[in-house]
Formats: sequence, C-alpha cells, structure tokens
Amino acid sequence: MQDFLELAVSAAASGCVYGLIALAYLLMIRPTGIINFAVGEWAMVGAFGGYLLLSEFEWPYPLGMAAVLVFMLMVGWLTERIAVRPLVERGAPLLAPILALLGMLVVFREAISVSFPPDPHPVPYALGIQHQSLFIIAVTSVVFIGVWLFFERTVAGKSFEAVAIHRRAAALMGINLSRVTALSFAGGAGAAGLAGLLVSPNVSAHYLMGVPLAIQGFTALVIGGVGRVEGALLGGLLLAFAEQLTVRYAPIPAGYAQGVPLLLLMLFLLLRPTGLLRAK
Amino acid sequence: MSPLLRWLGAALLLAGAAFFLSDYHNDVYRKLLLWVTLALSYNFLFGICGQIAFSHFAFYGIGAYSVVIFLFQFHLPFPLAILLGIALCILFALAVAIPSTRLEGFYLALATLALAQLFIVVLNEGGAVTGGPGGLANYKLPEFLGTRVRGPWYTAVIVLLLLGTLAVLWRLDRSWFGRACRAVRDNPEVAAAMGVDVARTKVIAFTLTSALAGVAGMVYAFVDNTVNPPIFGLDNAFLLLFMVIVGGAGRHAGAIIGAALLFLLPFVLSPLIGHHHVLVFGVLVVAAILLQPRGLVGLYDALRRHP
Repeated sequence: MQDFLELAVSAAASGCVYGLIALAYLLMIRPTGIINFAVGEWAMVGAFGGYLLLSEFEWPYPLGMAAVLVFMLMVGWLTERIAVRPLVERGAPLLAPILALLGMLVVFREAISVSFPPDPHPVPYALGIQHQSLFIIAVTSVVFIGVWLFFERTVAGKSFEAVAIHRRAAALMGINLSRVTALSFAGGAGAAGLAGLLVSPNVSAHYLMGVPLAIQGFTALVIGGVGRVEGALLGGLLLAFAEQLTVRYAPIPAGYAQGVPLLLLMLFLLLRPTGLLRAK
Repeated sequence: MSPLLRWLGAALLLAGAAFFLSDYHNDVYRKLLLWVTLALSYNFLFGICGQIAFSHFAFYGIGAYSVVIFLFQFHLPFPLAILLGIALCILFALAVAIPSTRLEGFYLALATLALAQLFIVVLNEGGAVTGGPGGLANYKLPEFLGTRVRGPWYTAVIVLLLLGTLAVLWRLDRSWFGRACRAVRDNPEVAAAMGVDVARTKVIAFTLTSALAGVAGMVYAFVDNTVNPPIFGLDNAFLLLFMVIVGGAGRHAGAIIGAALLFLLPFVLSPLIGHHHVLVFGVLVVAAILLQPRGLVGLYDALRRHP
C-alpha cells in the first residue's frame, strides 16, 4: 500500500508536468489553430533558466522561479513576433507558421546546445527532494485554477474563447486578434517553461529533454480533449498513471514506457478522437 | 530525345561518375544520392500531399535494420528478407496512418514523432536482435546470382534506386493520384466534394512513401555495413524536412537541390563553425518560410520571370 501511495504521488507529479505542457499547446491551439511543436524546447529552455539562476547564481528559489517565468513569457512573445505574426499578417496558410515554429524548435535546441556543455545540468529542488512531487502538484494546481478563472471570469479570457469559436466574428466585435495571439504564445511559453523548471530537478536540464515532453504533453491533450482547460490536466494525469503502472507492473524494459504515449495516442484517435472532455 | 534515352543517359552519367572518384569521395557521393532519394519521396508526402510526418527517417531505419536482421539473425534468403522488410514498413505505416489521418489537423505529425522516438528506444533496448546501442556490424552484402556487387558498382545500384524512385514518383505525380494528392493538400473539402477519398489518399501516400524510404534504407544497410541507433534519430528526420522546405516543397527539383545543398553545406561550414551547422539550418528554414515559401526553386522562378 505504502508502495502504491508513493507511486501515486510520483505519477500525479509527472501528470501535472504533462498537464502543463498540454496546457501550453491548448493556449495556442484554441485561438490560433497552430500546433507549436516547440513547447518541448520551451520547457527545456525553462529548465536551463533554472540551472543558470538557481544552481550557478544561487538565487533564492521564489525569485529564480519568477525570473524564469518572466523570461519565458518574453520568449513566447518574441517567438510569436518572429515566426508567427509576419506569416499571419501575410495571410499564409496555417502550415506556414507551424513549419516556421519547427525551425524555431531547432534554433532553440541548438542555441542551448551551443551555449552549454552537452552533459546534464543539475537544478536544485524547491523544498528538498521528498517534497518536490507535492511542490509540483501545488504549483500546477495554482496555474490551472488561475487559467480557469481567467477564461471563465474575465473579459480578456472570454475574448480568447470568442476568437477560438469564430475568428472573423471576434475581430468584427472589436477583439484585437494579434494581441490575443501574442498573449496566447506568451502564456504557452510560460506554462511550458514552468513545466520544464518543475521537472528538471528529477531529470536534470539537458538539451535533448524537449522532444519526449512535447510528445507526452500532446498525448495528454488528445486524451483530455482540445476544448477544455481541465482536459489538459486530466489527460496528463491519466497518461502519467498509465506510464508509471506500466513501468512498475509490466515485465518489459523501462525504456518501453516511452511507447505508452504512442499507444494511447493511437487508441484515442481511433476510439474517442474528441478526447474525454468535450468543448462546451 | 525519347524519355527512355534521357533516363538511360542520366543513369550512365550518374553511375559513371562513381568510377572516377576515390573511395572517400565515393562514400560521400553514395550518401548524397541516398539523401536525394529520401528527399524525393519525402517531398511527395510533405510537398505534394501536404502531410507533415517525422517518421520518414525511422522507416529508412526500419528498412535497414529489418533487412540486416532477417538476413544475418534469422538467416533468411536475400529476396525473402527484402520482401519481408518492405512488408514490415507497410504494416507500420498503415498502423500509424489509419488512426491519425481520420481527423483533420496535424495528428499525423505527432503520431509519427512518437513513432520515431519509440523506434530508437526499441533499437536501444532490443538486446541481441538489434544489437542494442552499438547496433549491428561486421556483415557483408550477400552474393546474389553468383556475384557480389561492390565498389563503384554498388554506387551504380544506388543510382538505379534514385532514378527508380524518381520515376515512380514522377509517374504518380502526373497520374490522377498525384492530382488527388495536390487537391487534398490545397483544399480537403473541395477535394472531397470532387469525389476524392481524402483519408484514403493520405493513407496511401504515407504508406507508399514510407515503403520507398524503407527500400532506400535496405540499400543504405550495405553502404557502411553497419546500422546503429544514432543514425536514425530525430535530428535527421528534421534535416529531411528542412531539405525539402529550403529546396522548394512540392517540386522534384526542389527536393534534389535542397538535399544536395543541406548535405554538402556541413562539409563547407565545418572548418568555419565546427558542428553548429544545425543552428544555421534552423535559421535558414525560418528565413526560407518567412521570405521565400517556395524555396530555392521559387527564387529561381522569380528571378527568371523578372530578370
């Protein structure tokens, strides 16, 4: 029982990380329709930010975390400025910004790989190793409650939803489309960077950590459904439990746990393509 | 000049060049030909049919690994090993494509990203069958009909593979299927209204190009006579996509130019900036999409129109 409880806590913690990545996808997909594969690299950049500020410069944790968050918001905003806005303004097909963001993915990864030596970089725990899972769960809860309140209770959040439902009509109602897009990318980068910072004490910051996170986050999004914020968290938790239970109880090498997202992705696309939670 | 003569001339020219190259340059030349072959089939999938997939290089790897495993671990006869390898590629391609192309959006990209990632895991964890992280080595191309092809003659085999791939894709592009693919890329709703089965067209294009990548992989297996996980990683999957974008998506000439340029660029750049050429490629791709979405071929067209 003790064993199972520990497993449940650690699965919930990784589920929260996946949920944050899924949230990052969702924030950008809803208003713009753009899948940004670079979220994994954003998480990686967040983890390296944590390494630099918390391990190298030894800033206090809350200050370092806030600095990483602000920096990621700027990264997201800048990414939108460089790789998305010019294409959207030109009226390019949806594929163009997606490909440009793929190019940015490689730029982020290689920029980090050029700037730091290739070995893993340690990032300190927030409150010590035994409380990290609880810390992850707490921070994720705060983020999700905040985002939920933003969408449900504020006019700005409603304007996001309006853009998601009908872009043209929203623009005609006086909603500033490019501001919504810029905000959604900044928010996405913030959520992804936070996920990277939270997961990095356990896995160490490494320039190749992005792609697995991008896959797991997207699988979480497909499981939960693209339409609802809660869906991202639910999908992340389900995926994490499926993974951890496979590693714990299935007689296969641990590396094959990376096959769980692919399997779940295929199953959900076949059986329930709208995800568990439908859009309201 | 009849088309057949033209193909024959191209084959003689490309294969003949191999006989004048040193061993090292032959090796570079072979890899260049293989990259061009891969870029051509990937261009059909991405440029002509409009699907983003990251599994093309994984299928190249599945082809390479399967032929080596079937030949030297299970000791199957050569033709049977090749057929089984192709069957394996088709099977995996169908398993991924059928669920992910049922929906609109970019689900195929993610599913194939996960597949490519999983493929590397399976190779590393595969124990004696796949050789683990070290891969498989120390095997030789088996004799076929009493002869063993080697040296520049093997380069000639690769030239045949390239021209064969190009011929298949060329014919396909000009058939109703190629037009259906372009219609699906440009506007799925209109294509469906015209009677094109969108999902089936996507699945067929994906499966076919993946099988072509698998065949190229089988040929590759005997270029270095070693297969190991790092070769088939995601980096090369991205590189392939970049080749097609930089060269000009949707055009055979674009795929050829892009593959040749991005393959040869590191040889020029390495003395200047070391191993950071991937960063240059990333910047190049973003610039291409922002400034000239039709790639280098589009640039050439524009220059010719307004000299």
